[in-house]
Amino acid sequence: MFNLKTIKRDTDKWSWLTVLLVGFVTLPIFALLFKTFSGPGESWSHLLSTVLGTYTLNSLLLVLGTSFFSLVLGVPSAWAVSRYHFPGKKIFEWLLIVPLTIPSYITAYAYAGLFDYGGTLSRMGHFLGVPKLDILNLPGLVFILSISLYPYVYMASRAVFLYQSGRLIEASSLLGAKGIKTLFRVILPMAWPAIFGGLLLVIMEVLNDYGAAKYYGVNTLTTGIFRAWFALEEPNTAVFLSVILLLLVLVFVLLERWQRGSRSYQMTAKSNIRLQPIYPSKTTKWWLFSITFVPVLFGFLFPVFQLLKWLGTTWEKTASSNYLIIAFQSVGIALLASVLTILVTLLVIYFPKWNRLKLLKGSTKLATLGYAIPGAVLAIGVMLPTLQIDRWLLLANYSSGGNGTILLLNGTIIALVYAYIIRFLAVGFKPLQASQLKLGASLSESSKLLGKNTLQTFFKIEVPLLKTGIFSALLLVFVDIMKELPLTLILKPYDVNTLAVKAYEFASDELIMESALPSLTIIVAGLIPVLFLNKLLLNDS
Amino acid sequence: MIKSFNPKDGNVIDGIDLQIEACSVVSLLGESGSGKTTLARLIAGLEVPDSGELILDGTLVANSSKFVPPQQRKIGMVFQDYALFPHMTVMDNVGYGLASRQKKEFRVLEVLNLVGLEDLGHRYPHQLSGGQQQRIALARALAPEPKLLVLDEPFSNLDASLKRHLRSELFQIIRESKVTALFLTHDTQDAIAVSDRVVVLQNGRVIQQGTAKALYERPTNRYIAALFGPIVELNADDLSHFNLEVDPSKTYALRQNHFEVDNEKLKSIAQVSIKESTHAGHFYLNQALLPNKKTIQFTSGRALKDSVLLGFEGNSLLVF
Repeated sequence: MFNLKTIKRDTDKWSWLTVLLVGFVTLPIFALLFKTFSGPGESWSHLLSTVLGTYTLNSLLLVLGTSFFSLVLGVPSAWAVSRYHFPGKKIFEWLLIVPLTIPSYITAYAYAGLFDYGGTLSRMGHFLGVPKLDILNLPGLVFILSISLYPYVYMASRAVFLYQSGRLIEASSLLGAKGIKTLFRVILPMAWPAIFGGLLLVIMEVLNDYGAAKYYGVNTLTTGIFRAWFALEEPNTAVFLSVILLLLVLVFVLLERWQRGSRSYQMTAKSNIRLQPIYPSKTTKWWLFSITFVPVLFGFLFPVFQLLKWLGTTWEKTASSNYLIIAFQSVGIALLASVLTILVTLLVIYFPKWNRLKLLKGSTKLATLGYAIPGAVLAIGVMLPTLQIDRWLLLANYSSGGNGTILLLNGTIIALVYAYIIRFLAVGFKPLQASQLKLGASLSESSKLLGKNTLQTFFKIEVPLLKTGIFSALLLVFVDIMKELPLTLILKPYDVNTLAVKAYEFASDELIMESALPSLTIIVAGLIPVLFLNKLLLNDS
Repeated sequence: MIKSFNPKDGNVIDGIDLQIEACSVVSLLGESGSGKTTLARLIAGLEVPDSGELILDGTLVANSSKFVPPQQRKIGMVFQDYALFPHMTVMDNVGYGLASRQKKEFRVLEVLNLVGLEDLGHRYPHQLSGGQQQRIALARALAPEPKLLVLDEPFSNLDASLKRHLRSELFQIIRESKVTALFLTHDTQDAIAVSDRVVVLQNGRVIQQGTAKALYERPTNRYIAALFGPIVELNADDLSHFNLEVDPSKTYALRQNHFEVDNEKLKSIAQVSIKESTHAGHFYLNQALLPNKKTIQFTSGRALKDSVLLGFEGNSLLVF
């Protein structure tokens, strides 16, 4: 099948650039895998016989528990807003997404306060005669992660309920099936592959989480990596833990692929038929209201209420010039990194397309890789090669008579931004690729046939028409970078701080009330695109 | 030329050898999946061939070691969806492929005149009707004076009555501008109406090519014969009832509309009994039993019943 002559014919600058890009994106993973050859650190065998089992078990329990409750919160609420007509439905439709604007570690801090002695929820419980609940444990963490991550499941389910099953539901009821039967025999099995797609995002976020698990004292593989890196100072051990975590992620990714692959009928069932909404009875209305209100109440209203309460008592202390500096740094870094991320995303979409080698056409898929790698793992993967390059640079500097002692990449913004780009490629990639696909190939092909080369076509045709897509992708990436914690903690320059890190530092220094200001700032930043993109989304449909 | 996208699915273009004469209009006729779009894209440089070579106006533009990108081939293309740039005015669309500024203005007006839409230069594509969009797409493709113009199913988005009107108009413009044109279609009527030569594709191969008349009169197989309308297959036994002695190793067929009723002058005639005669618009569609009890279908100008004398001209019999 391989014909050397045609390979030579089809290899051009875009092929080489594609190869370079693939190298750029996969370097951290290869660095990690390569590093495992030098063996684990000295406490590895100790770790293996003592805590590794607990780490893995806790991570798995978190994944299972959070998956279950995310489905419970996300699927029925999506069903309610996509099928029924009830008061407040329009508002709930997007309010149900809003918990995503609060990073799970911040939700975790807020609930620690709500359930603490004198906390609002614990006082309410006392009033109702419920004994005080300790939530700083594994079940508590499952609760936190579920209420903050269920929107991924909700969004996936809503999309599929809205667009994909219309005709089939009609067919099923015309064939005489009762509502419940249609739901369990037709709708849910049909929607499952898409819902699992949303669930996979939940699972990845659970495995990525560091801040919440740390605060709730649950030892997971991710907190283990931090301990190995910072407390034990054993990079090799951290690498080994990272590889285990990576394998765990891989299992879930493959599971998702497999279930999707075996149910390819999903695609054939696409239809544009929108179902008439059901007008429910009064009791059903109350049910629908509770189904949609409870996730919003726990996922958004309670935590924001708690943070605002804390803000009221601490803002005089925390709203200082120092806060402003951190906010500016945070926004600046996020802006720089998100612009670069979108740039690389565009390259990842277009380089493989422009190149003629069949072999490299598929490399666009790599864009989604980064999101599967937990932040802590990626941070270490970035640390390894950049340290090595710094070492080479220092040696070169010495040998040429210099006495430079500064690290050029590590502990600078370059390594941090590099890691952000890889991690958040997937976030911008999805909306961008969708709008690129919607554009179709014939426009750019027309441009080329009319004599314009690849780059002219890109700037004259693709970029102007992708503007909205590029902008919304930029917003999404920006917010995700603002929220990012574990990766930032490991890679940030010593003298630079972000709001996320500041909130984490306050919380770990037992100044949890002071974390309200940076936390709320992050939430406000996150709300802007949710409002904005929801409007875009609604216009689209 | 050979091209495959996925080795498992076999070749999409399976050894096509084709020449297009300058200034002629050639139709590529085939069902979807026959490979006509892929062939056109290979010619335009939008796909890379696996093997074979492509010569455009005497210059080698693609073989297994050379590939000239589409922007250097000077091929104009009218896409099925027209592919007008939505963010540019009609003028900017038409002038997009022109290099120098002075020439641009003149040529844009010239081709807009040619397609009769000189007043619409400042509109945006979404402000035009389907037919207007198509003519702008044609004007844009013609503006840089391409060596070859490819039209990919340009009528598939238009309804039947509009299509016939536009078809003659469009090809009149093409004839006037003396461009070599390759017209992709799945519609036999379209192909025979406009082209000098029809090339029939099936499963990535050319199965017959020639003038529409040649294809109609001397089809080399059943598939080609049926492109022009339904046929009736007849074997040696059937034909013996029509007083014809033929070689039984070959296949014979007759077009449904080539039968004649009650014409005693014909040499090939048989007495058949009518089972059913249904009104079908311009004609009647009849089911009849041959003397050997085989059922055939044929058309007639009037309703038939009972027993009729059915015959045909000897030279209308198709032999494969």
